[in-house]
Amino acid sequence: MLLQLRNIFKWVNSGGQRLFLLKDINLNVEEGEFISVMGPSGSGKSTLLNVIGMLDNFDEGEYEFLHESVHALKEKHRANLYKEYIGFVFQSYHLLDELTVKENLEMPLLYKKFKGTERKAMVADMLDRFNIVGKKDLFPTQLSGGQQQLVGVARALIANPKLILADEPTGNLNSAQSEEIMALFKQLNSEGVTIIQVTHSEKNAAYGSRVINLLDGRMIK
Amino acid sequence: MLRNYFKIAWRNLLKNKSSSFINIMGLTIGISTCMVILIFVRYESTFDAHHSNAEKTYRIVQRYSLPEETLYWNTTAYPLAEALRNDFPEIDVVTQISGPVSRVFQVEDNFGNVKRFEESQVLFVDAQYPKTFDVHWLAGDLNSALSGINSVVLTAELAKKFFGLEKENYNSILGRTIFLQSKDPFTVTGVVASPPGNSDHQYTMLIPYEFFKINNEYFSSNWSGNYQGTTFVVLRSAKIKEALEKKIAGWKKKYLNPEDDKRIAYALQPLKEIHNETLYGNSPGGYIMPANILNTALIVALFILLIAIINFVNLLTAQSNSRSKEVGIRKVMGGGRFNLIVQFIFENSLIIIGILALSVFIVRILLNFLNTNLSVIDLQLELGWSHVGILLFIGGLTLALAAVYPALVVSAFKPIQALRNSIRFSGTNRFNLRKSLVTFQFAVVQLFVIAAIVLAMQMNHFRETDLGFSSDAVVITETPEFEKLEVYRERLLGNSGINKVAFGSGPPMAVNGIQLGTNYRLPEQPEEEVMMAEMKIADIHYLDFYDMELVAGRNFLGNKEAFDEFIVNETLLKSYGWNAEEAIGKKIQINEGQATIVGVVKDFNNNSLQNEISPCILLNWTYYQSNAFIKISDANHLSLGVIKNIWEQTFNNSIYDYQFLEDSIEKEYAVENLVFTGFGIFSILAISIGCLGLFGLMSFMISKKAKEIGIRKVLGATLFENLSLFTKEYIGLVALAFLVAAPLVYYFMNQWLEGFTYRIELSFWMFLSGGFVTLIIAILTCSFQSIKAALANPIYALKEE
Repeated sequence: MLLQLRNIFKWVNSGGQRLFLLKDINLNVEEGEFISVMGPSGSGKSTLLNVIGMLDNFDEGEYEFLHESVHALKEKHRANLYKEYIGFVFQSYHLLDELTVKENLEMPLLYKKFKGTERKAMVADMLDRFNIVGKKDLFPTQLSGGQQQLVGVARALIANPKLILADEPTGNLNSAQSEEIMALFKQLNSEGVTIIQVTHSEKNAAYGSRVINLLDGRMIK
Repeated sequence: MLRNYFKIAWRNLLKNKSSSFINIMGLTIGISTCMVILIFVRYESTFDAHHSNAEKTYRIVQRYSLPEETLYWNTTAYPLAEALRNDFPEIDVVTQISGPVSRVFQVEDNFGNVKRFEESQVLFVDAQYPKTFDVHWLAGDLNSALSGINSVVLTAELAKKFFGLEKENYNSILGRTIFLQSKDPFTVTGVVASPPGNSDHQYTMLIPYEFFKINNEYFSSNWSGNYQGTTFVVLRSAKIKEALEKKIAGWKKKYLNPEDDKRIAYALQPLKEIHNETLYGNSPGGYIMPANILNTALIVALFILLIAIINFVNLLTAQSNSRSKEVGIRKVMGGGRFNLIVQFIFENSLIIIGILALSVFIVRILLNFLNTNLSVIDLQLELGWSHVGILLFIGGLTLALAAVYPALVVSAFKPIQALRNSIRFSGTNRFNLRKSLVTFQFAVVQLFVIAAIVLAMQMNHFRETDLGFSSDAVVITETPEFEKLEVYRERLLGNSGINKVAFGSGPPMAVNGIQLGTNYRLPEQPEEEVMMAEMKIADIHYLDFYDMELVAGRNFLGNKEAFDEFIVNETLLKSYGWNAEEAIGKKIQINEGQATIVGVVKDFNNNSLQNEISPCILLNWTYYQSNAFIKISDANHLSLGVIKNIWEQTFNNSIYDYQFLEDSIEKEYAVENLVFTGFGIFSILAISIGCLGLFGLMSFMISKKAKEIGIRKVLGATLFENLSLFTKEYIGLVALAFLVAAPLVYYFMNQWLEGFTYRIELSFWMFLSGGFVTLIIAILTCSFQSIKAALANPIYALKEE
């Protein structure tokens, strides 16, 4: 078991009322799964993803990740945990515009204390694997959306995470680019990486092994 | 890691060219200004501190107590030096100097050409001078150079000028002869380097004191009276100063007559305090930079630096909005807060260090500019290694405030909000830190602006006040030989461009620090009841020349070798409670003799306007008519050439020089002028920095409010309504800042004005116009960018990501 959510609640207080963002979420994720989270706008998909990614807190419930109780961990340990095991992919790519492709890929490694030579090898390996060696010195704005997202995925993978969290990774892409990215995810999944993606598209959801539907913060089946 | 930080810092700087420019400019101006002021203050407060004996060298000053007032003199009777030398073994060295004075010299150069030079910085010094003050010898022997009566020591510059030396072989001119006033021969016995700029002893030539004594035998042996000798002592140790002062107080009766012994108290003034102490003033040839002006300058420097730093911080934190995405990404990618703090401190420090380097460069240019263009005082400011401390202080302060704080703010962003670009800066309506900083900044700007207005009004007051005599178009020349006065007058008046000519010891207002003093009393009064008056020698044309009004009596009948008539001013009458009519016919005794009052002149400003009108006695003496006053009528000053010709024909001896009375009067306000010029410049700088900051903040505000403007515009808001969205907030801040600044300025300006007898009254409009000017500038700065934003198509603003 990779992670387990038990009775997770998250709310905000708005105008004297308690507004639930997540309500009683129970979810087990095994290693090697490829899960698609679906639901209308405002149903809590992104919030759920952020909670799983430990970027956001929850108000009630328990969360275990690789047998560590996340809810009991201090901020710093939590950060170490996601640093080591989780990679993120965003809808709007979130590459740093001031850095080249190569430097963007290298950036997460800088925070993980890899040596210079190691970093170089890992970046070169990634560039190779994603066929973007020719683009390594370009800046993100010089790339198409599909290429940018490719870099985004490569960056998420570079430190060998166990879990990839992708928030509408194809939301800004055209259909051809989307298929390319989804095929890549499928391939990564077959190589053993666990993936949880948020998506609006049935077609993309079909790439996954399981679909979770959310409505108003609740899981529905 | 650092390379990565460096790269991203550099690329960010280039990406936001305009805001980077504003940021860098603002802080550079602030730091450069602060540095220049600190260097200036250091320069002015270390006068004569470079002498190796500076710590234990003192000037002997005297307090002269009269029944009505106490006078403070920085000169002493000449024989004092010799007496101290003989009677006090605990004093290591006693030296006395006189001058600097102006003298004309005749020199024969290598080719046998005889040339004449006028030197205005001739200092008479005794053989102990080089033991008291450090003199850098380039040729000659310091122990013997000044011991002969007819020796002379020149500065290197003067040696070059006199003898046309091309190389620096100063030894070659030792033994050469120059003539003083074409008659007394002097042998060159030494060549020295020019004294540094921050010394009150400025000279180009040193002449032995012995020579001066022989030529002024009466003065040099006279204990009563005050004849402009400046006495310095070097004590064995600074600790014995007070004991020595006490000892001198008991000792002086040995030499002074009983009257003087009662009146005169000697004191030891530390050498290093002379330049900043107004009580005793400076010796001839020097000027005073009062300590309170230097303190004000320090405060101004700190304020300017502070508003520049505040600007920088404000802009950085405002711009950090555009960095929030980066913070989010870095945090998600595993960067901790500490990593980010390090990154941003590194980045900001890099910029600040760059700015410091740029500032050093600019400071050099500014110092050069000041040295050549500041006419009020002669500055020799230089950037040296000794200023590293100043640079470190400024740099350290800037780094601590401007590098660390923004880094702490930015690194604290929460990743999810940062990525969604929804960082909220603590309440846009509450009175937050940024607003208080902007308010502070505006308060300082208004402080400067209002102060500059008040100073300008006071300076104007100096120029506009009716002095009680007319100073228009008056040219003053010297009159070296008083036997030729009438010839000179006739020749001058034979010219259509010249209206009137008069002779006298000086113009009605004492200028260039020259004022003849004397004691006065009624003949029947005992000597201890004397009072101090200014005496002026005037001829029969003097009153008419200066449009001075007689309130009683008549003008002089003529000048005499034994004067017998006085004309006194109204202020003098007050000491006896006479009215003008009563005074006519009364006899008065002064140091120089006795005479009858024949006229009373309406009070005129015989002192510059910082001071009150003092008792003044005009004499019909033939001596001391050392100046000619010439009224010219043509506007284009063609007569100046005519005057020069006539002067050279008449006194075919020396070197011609002239001055306009109005210029000389203006020089009396040199320090005030300097303060005014300074505040003028600083208020412009403060406004520029403030505007740069406001400009930068506005671009930030606009990007934050673009959406709001879009919505308002779609709903029908006009351009003006949208503009007021930005400006109304800043109008409030300017008004608040005004409330802070106004009482402060009121307090400080009142203090400053109190130093002047003739001063303006502070009035409301000075404050209001200062505030108004700042407000207009603030609104203009805001509008510049907000108009663009308000005109933009709302579609772009409303489009979501």
